[in-house]
Amino acid sequence: MAYQDLRTYLEALDAEGQLIHITEAVLPEPDISAAACAITKFGDKTPALLFENIKGYTNARIAMNVHGSWCNHALMLGMPKDTPLREQFFEFVRRYQTYPGKVEERDSAPWEEVVIEDDINLFDILPLFRLNHGDAGFYIDKAAIVSRDITDWDNPATQNVGMYRLQVKGKNRIGIQPASAHDIALHLKKAEELGEDLPIAICIGNDPLINTVAAMPILYNQSEYAMAGALAQEAYPVITAKHTGLQVPWGSEIVLEGKILSRVREGEGPFGEFTGHYSGARRMPVIEITKVSHRRNPLYEHLYLGQPWTEVDYFIGINTSAPLHVQLKEAFPEVQAVNAMYTHGLVVIVSTKVRYGGFAKGVGMRVLTTPHGLGYAKVVIVVDETIDPFNLPQVMWALSTKFNPQYDLVTIPGLSILPLDPASDPAGMSPKLIIDATTPQAPEKHGHYSQELRDPVSTEAWVEKLRELMPKA
Amino acid sequence: MSKKIICPRCESEHTDILTQSPVPGVWEVYHCEECFFAWRSTEPDFITDPAKYNTEFKLTREQLDQSGIMPAVPPLKKR
Repeated sequence: MAYQDLRTYLEALDAEGQLIHITEAVLPEPDISAAACAITKFGDKTPALLFENIKGYTNARIAMNVHGSWCNHALMLGMPKDTPLREQFFEFVRRYQTYPGKVEERDSAPWEEVVIEDDINLFDILPLFRLNHGDAGFYIDKAAIVSRDITDWDNPATQNVGMYRLQVKGKNRIGIQPASAHDIALHLKKAEELGEDLPIAICIGNDPLINTVAAMPILYNQSEYAMAGALAQEAYPVITAKHTGLQVPWGSEIVLEGKILSRVREGEGPFGEFTGHYSGARRMPVIEITKVSHRRNPLYEHLYLGQPWTEVDYFIGINTSAPLHVQLKEAFPEVQAVNAMYTHGLVVIVSTKVRYGGFAKGVGMRVLTTPHGLGYAKVVIVVDETIDPFNLPQVMWALSTKFNPQYDLVTIPGLSILPLDPASDPAGMSPKLIIDATTPQAPEKHGHYSQELRDPVSTEAWVEKLRELMPKA
Repeated sequence: MSKKIICPRCESEHTDILTQSPVPGVWEVYHCEECFFAWRSTEPDFITDPAKYNTEFKLTREQLDQSGIMPAVPPLKKR
């Protein structure tokens, strides 16, 4: 059974030993981000953190590192917490391919308990804090943000749920980064062409799946809620927020409704981003919040991002790899698995069967022309079907031995990339690289690969025998 | 207010108290109307003190006014 809100998910994490309650009084800065950074030093099985005593607030709670380990990711999918990454990936892909899942519209939601429409002060409602020292201020970085095309309002296919950073600049004023390649930028453009504001709903403290989907590169006309239903393998509950008419998650803790002000741009940033670098400052749109609804004693959830690997890397790992895997396989059924877990897919590793010489380079080219690859994939490493792309020592072996720089390196100039890539020059433009680390197939014939080492004949039987003999934990 | 608050980032005097802690007297949050920086009174001095603020992250209104616009504002159309 899927978790329909953050509270029940945290209870499940707690029951599995995957939640640490921090009851000592902490300062918003630097304690919360320092602790959230510190937990990432303990490897890939870390628990979530729940801060329960924040100085200056009466009963605020902040959840961090909720998505910050493969254990938590497995539990989100309802799998045992020690499920290997590769298995989680293939289960995620299997569910992804059952799209569209069911969506259930409900009449009322717990987040309607408390409503504020006058004298809104987001600082009283949300325990906001500075995440990284160079950030311009207090950001909301883990909200599911809902918008629609105002010129096609009744068409639910235009509705988008995305995750964009939000700089809280005033009591009800927020800066937003609707990057041009993302769906919300299309909505904003259509509203601004008419000189109209864009209605928006900002949902905070959500069930873990909708946040995973909001941060996932699905297609423009795919519904995030139907995708959440597919991943949950049961109906995903939503409700229509009355103020804006936008569909929002039933299970959210806090819903902020308002509008992106038409044709307004104002200084925003810098913010420490998932690239492990600050973003710089630019002029970006501004939101005015006109209604706040929340559960009593709402849980505030925030995403930690620092120099990788941190929570954000677990958060945008498998959900970036799965759509690329499916899109790539549509063109090339020979593809075995795709690992796009490095900085949202700036590096992509593809394992594939190779039908003939040059085939692997073609697979690499296709990665670059997928919708997500066009804006992200900068280095594509293609390896043989025998290599597990999630097993980096195997990938390094392929790079070490199968790759010949004279034949296997393809550089393509002048492609697009997300402007946040600090290597892009100018911001948003980059050459891209395909590294063919597969074994050459005819008619390609460089190198000497006919005598590759193989496991001795009865190795598999011995693996099982030794597994039984291993000391039990 | 007895003493003018200087923005640690752009060093403008166009600042204000944005909010105060729900538990009275624990902290105040300030913001800058020029560069949109915000900070809390209880943060380390390398955030709150203009003289100690990281020079790499100093930013003036002029620099912001010359920064890129994202996304671009489209031409107006008729519905």
